[in-house]
Amino acid sequence: MKESWVIFFILGLIMLNYPFLNIFNKPDLFLGFPLLLIYIIGGWAISIIVIYLFTISIIDKSPRNDGQ
Amino acid sequence: MISFQSLLIAISLYICLHFLVAIYAYKRYQKGRSIVSNSFVYSLSITVYCTSWTYYGSVGRAATSGIDFIVIYLGPSLTAFTWWFILRKIVRITKENNITSISDFISSRYGKSQFLGAAITIIAVMGIIPYIALQLKAVSSTFILICNHPSFQLPEHLKNSFAINNSGLFFAIFISIFGIMFGARSLATQRRHEGLVAAIAFESVVKLLAFICVGIYVTYFLFNGFTDIMGQMSSKYPYLFDHLTTLGDLNETSYANWSTNLFLAMGSVMLLPRQFQIMVIENSDENHIKEAMWRFPAYLFAINLFVIPIAFGGILLNGSNSGADYFVLTIPMNTGHHWLALLAFLGGFSAAAGMVIAESVATSTMILNHLLMPLVLRLRITDSFSTLILALKRMSIFLVIFLGYAYFQIIGDTFMLVNIGLISFSAAIQLAPSLIGAIYWPRGNAAGAIAGIMGGFSIWFYTLLLPSVIKSGWIDTDILEHGLFGLSILKPTELFGLTGLDMWSNSLFWSMLFNIGGYLLFSILLNQSEAEKEQCIKFAEPYSEGTRTDLWETKRLSKPVTIIEFVGLMENFIGEKQAHEAISEYLSLHEIDEKGMVSEFELPSLKRFVEKTIAGSVGSAAASAIIENYLSDVGSGMESFYDAFRSVRSSLEESREALYVRLKSSEIMNRSGSLQSITKELLELLVKEFHFDLVTVRLIDNDRNMPLLSEKSILNGDFRISAKISPTEDFFISELLTTKKSQFANDTRNITRRTASAVTPVDTFAAFAHIPLVGDEEPLGVLSVYSISIVGLFTEELLNLLSSLAGQLALAVKLVDEREAREHEKNEKDAALLKNAAVQHEMEMAKQIQLSLLPDAPPNISGLQIASLSVSADHVGGDYYDFFVSDDRFFDAVIADVSGHNVGAALIMVETRSVLRAQVNINTTPSGILASLNNLLLPDLTRAELFISMFYIKYDCATQWLTYSNAGHNTPLLYQATEQECQMLDAEGMIIGVKGDIVFEDRSIMLNPGDLLLLYTDGVTEATDDDGELFGIERLENILIKCHDEPIQQIVDHIYREVICFSGGNPLTDDVSMVAFRIEQSPYDQQD
Repeated sequence: MKESWVIFFILGLIMLNYPFLNIFNKPDLFLGFPLLLIYIIGGWAISIIVIYLFTISIIDKSPRNDGQ
Repeated sequence: MISFQSLLIAISLYICLHFLVAIYAYKRYQKGRSIVSNSFVYSLSITVYCTSWTYYGSVGRAATSGIDFIVIYLGPSLTAFTWWFILRKIVRITKENNITSISDFISSRYGKSQFLGAAITIIAVMGIIPYIALQLKAVSSTFILICNHPSFQLPEHLKNSFAINNSGLFFAIFISIFGIMFGARSLATQRRHEGLVAAIAFESVVKLLAFICVGIYVTYFLFNGFTDIMGQMSSKYPYLFDHLTTLGDLNETSYANWSTNLFLAMGSVMLLPRQFQIMVIENSDENHIKEAMWRFPAYLFAINLFVIPIAFGGILLNGSNSGADYFVLTIPMNTGHHWLALLAFLGGFSAAAGMVIAESVATSTMILNHLLMPLVLRLRITDSFSTLILALKRMSIFLVIFLGYAYFQIIGDTFMLVNIGLISFSAAIQLAPSLIGAIYWPRGNAAGAIAGIMGGFSIWFYTLLLPSVIKSGWIDTDILEHGLFGLSILKPTELFGLTGLDMWSNSLFWSMLFNIGGYLLFSILLNQSEAEKEQCIKFAEPYSEGTRTDLWETKRLSKPVTIIEFVGLMENFIGEKQAHEAISEYLSLHEIDEKGMVSEFELPSLKRFVEKTIAGSVGSAAASAIIENYLSDVGSGMESFYDAFRSVRSSLEESREALYVRLKSSEIMNRSGSLQSITKELLELLVKEFHFDLVTVRLIDNDRNMPLLSEKSILNGDFRISAKISPTEDFFISELLTTKKSQFANDTRNITRRTASAVTPVDTFAAFAHIPLVGDEEPLGVLSVYSISIVGLFTEELLNLLSSLAGQLALAVKLVDEREAREHEKNEKDAALLKNAAVQHEMEMAKQIQLSLLPDAPPNISGLQIASLSVSADHVGGDYYDFFVSDDRFFDAVIADVSGHNVGAALIMVETRSVLRAQVNINTTPSGILASLNNLLLPDLTRAELFISMFYIKYDCATQWLTYSNAGHNTPLLYQATEQECQMLDAEGMIIGVKGDIVFEDRSIMLNPGDLLLLYTDGVTEATDDDGELFGIERLENILIKCHDEPIQQIVDHIYREVICFSGGNPLTDDVSMVAFRIEQSPYDQQD
C-alpha cells in the first residue's frame, strides 16, 4: 500500500493530460452538465477520497520507519 | 443599504479580529497550549495558496477562457499525493537543520552555498513582487468598486479622495504592521510563528465561507440550482457555453497551455516561498501532513465548486463576461445584497491578506539571511548586532510589501489578474529541479544547481517578465515583435523560433530545458566539495539519526569547550534571553552540568544544536561559518567567511581586533604545546594585532623573584629587558601583587612612583600595563605590554581583553605547574622505591655476610656430637654462637644474643666475635673470658645502647668436666642420661654492657656419656602462639627427654620445627639459634 501513491500520482498525471483528456473534451452534456466539467469534478472528488483512504492505510504505521 | 461609516467600521473590526486571533494564538503558544499545532489549522493554513487570484480571478477566468481555470487547483491536488513522502522528508530535513526558507533549504544542500542562496532569493523576490502587487490591486480595486457603486451612498466629498483611491496603501501598511508583529517579533530561535499561522487559518475559513455564501446565493437564490444555470447558459449563449466548457478547439495549444498550467501549479504549491514557509517551516508535527493530504484538496474542491455557477450566473445577469473578475462582488451588489457584498469583500480581503503576510515574512527571511546578512558580516558594522538583524528583518518585510505596492502603482493595471499569478508560478518552478535533486539525487552539486537556476531564471526573465514589462508600455515593443537586435529567433514569446506555443508554455519549455540541462550537466561534469558531500548525506538520509551524528564531527577539538562559551556565542546572534532559553531547553534533554565542560562525546550534538540555533537567525550558511571559526577550525571552503566573521562583534564593547585576538588566543591555548611555546605565540599575536613595542611574561617563582618566561619585541635591540627582577623594587609590580589587579600608565611622563627600569622602564616607553596572571588566589605571573609612542593606549576594553588573555594564560601556567608537580612527585616516588630496593639488596648481602661469620660446621671432636642452627627473623640478627677447640682436648662453645636484631646488633655481634676470638686464647676460664669481654665491649655497647647476653662453656674432653659461665643468658638445658631428666645450668653473672668490672662465676659439672647439653637463645623459648602463650622451657625439656637419643642434628631441627609449628606459621619475631652437643658413650664404657 505504501507505494500505491505512485500509481495514483502517475494515473492522475495521465488522466489530466492530452490525449486522455481528449476523450471528455467534447461540447456534450451529461445529465445536464458539460461532460468535461463532470469528468473533472467527479474525478477530483474520487481522487480526494482515494488520498483519504490512502492516509488511513498509513495511520497505524510508525511514521519514523515507513518513510523510505 | 450600508453607509460608508459602517463599511469602515466593518473593515476595522475585521482587522482587529485579525490581531486578536493572532495575539490569542501567540499567548496560547507561549503558555504551551497551542491552538495552531493541529492538522486542521495546518491544512487550513496551507490554503494560503488560494489568494485573491483564486477568489476573484478564477471566476474571471472561468467566464472568459473557461474551464481551464480549474487546472491551477488540480495540480496541487495531484501533488498532495506525494506529500507523505516528499513533503515529510523536506520537513524532517528542515527541522533537523533548522532551515529557515526554501532558499536556505536548497543552498544548505549544495554545501551551504551563499551564492546559491542569494540567487534564489533574488529570483523569489522578482517572482513574488508582481504577485504581491496583484493582491494589493485586488483589495484596492474591490474597495473602489464598492465605494463607487451607484447604490453605495458615498459622501460627495470623499469621492475620488486620496483615501478611496489609495486603499491599497492602507492595506499594505496594515499587512506590514501585522507581518512585523507576528512574523518578526524577535530573533527567536524558534522559526514558527503561531500568531501568523492562526491568522492565516482564520482568513482561510473566512474566504471559503464568503465564497460559498456567494456561490449558494447565486446558484440557489438567483437561479434554481446548478442545472438551471447550465441550462440557461447553454440555451442563451450556446457558442460561449461550448467555448467555456471545453478546452477550445482540438489544437495543440490548448492542451499545451493546460499541461503547462498543471505543471506550474503542481510545483508552485510546494515551491512558492509562502507555501514552503507555511507547509514546511511552520509545520509543528509531521503527522499533520497526513491529514492535510486530503483536507487541502478537499478545501480546493469546495472553493472551486461554485466558480462556474458564479461565472455563468454573472454572464447571464450581466449579459456579457466583461468585469468577470469581480463577479463575486458585483453580483451581490447589483442585486441589492450589500451585506453579502461586504462579506464577499472581506473574503477577498482575507485571501489577499493571508498571501501577502505569509509571502512577505517568508521572503524577508530569505532577504535577511542571503542578501543582508553576508553584507552585514562583510561591512563590519559595529553596532549592536542582534538589534541590527531584527531591524533588518522588519525592514525586509516592509521592503517586500512596498516593492509590491510600487509595482502595482507603476505597471499593475496593465494585466489581467491571472497573468501575474502565472509569472510568479513560472519563477517558483525554477527551483523544482534543484529541490527534487537535493533530496533524491546524491550526485547533484552546487555548480549544477547554480547553473540550472541561473539558466532557467534568465529564460524566465526574458520570456515572461520582460514581455510583461513591455506590455505595460514601459519599454518599446520592438523586442516583443521583432526579437532582440531584430533577430526573430530571439523573440521572447517564440524563443529560438519555437512557434505555436503560448508564452507560458514557451517559457516553461525553454526555462526547464536550460534549468534541468544545466543542473544535470554540471552535476555530472564537476565533483562535489567536501562540505557538499557532508550536507548531501544529511539530506539523503534524514531518517537515520545515528550515522549522521558521527559524520558531523569530522575534526577533533583539542580543548574542551564550556557550555557558557557556546551561550556567549549564541547571545550575539539571537539575544541573551533567547540564548539562555535555548540552552536550558537543550540541557534539559542532555545531562550536562551548565558550568561543566562539554565532553567530546557531547560536543558534536551541542555544536550542531548551537549552529542550528544560530541558523534560525542568520541562515545556515552564515551559521556554519560562524561556528566553524569559533571552534578554531578554519573550515574547508569557508575561508572567505573567516574575514567576514572577524568583523562580528562578540559583544557591545569589543572591537573586531579584540574578537579576533580572543579567537586566535583560544586557538593558541588549545594547542597542547609547552608553556614556553604557547606564551611565545600569544605574545607574537599581541604584538602583531595591537602593535605593542614590547610584550613580556614573567612568572613568579618560589623565592618571589620574577624571572622572564618569554618576551616579544619589535624594538631594534637598543633596549634589553632584564631577565630577572625582584618585585619589591617596583611600585607597580608590588601594587599588582597586593591588589591582584592590572596596573597601567597611559603616560609615563606623569609617573612619580618608584619604578624599576628592569620591569617598568619609564624612560623608554610612553605607556605600559602590567596584568596579573591570576590563578585561584595568588598571581602566578605578570603579563606586561609596552608601547613607545602611543599615549593613552590602554582603554578599559583593551585592559579587559588583556586581563582575559592573562586569565587564560594563568590557566595554562597552572596546568603546566600541576603537570610538573605531578611528574616531580612521581620521580621522587620512583627514586624512593629504587633506593629501598638497593637497601634491601644490601641488607640481603649483610645477612649473607653475617651468616658466613657463624661457623660453617661444628668442629669434629672425638667423643662429642655437635650440632647448631641459627635463623634470623630479619635480614640481619643479633644472635651469635661459636666453637673453639684447643689442644685437642678443650672444646669451648659460646652462644650470645645482642639485644635487638637490627643492623646495629649485627655489627656489635661482629665486634663481639672478633674480641671473643682474641680473648679465647688469653683467658682460660669462661668467667675470665666474659669479664674481659665485658670490659672490652662496654664503651661500644654503652654508645650503641645495646647489651649482650652470653653463655660460655668449656668442656675438657679428658676429664669430662664442663665449666661454664653465664652473662645473663637463657639457662641452657642439660639432659642427664643417668637421671633421664633435664637440669638447667646457671651461674652468677650480669649481662654484658651494663657496667664494667663484673665478676662472673665459674661453675663446673661432670658430664657422663649420653648427656646432652642444649644452648639456645630466647627466640626459642619466647616464641608465641596465636593466643600469645610462650613456647617455654618445659616444652623444650619434654622434647629433649623424648628425643635424647636421636642424632644430634635431628634433635636441633626437631626443636626448630616444633617452635615453628607452635607459632602457627607466623614469621619469627626473634632470631632463633641453638647449639647442642652430646657426650658419646666411650668405647670403654660400651665394653663395660
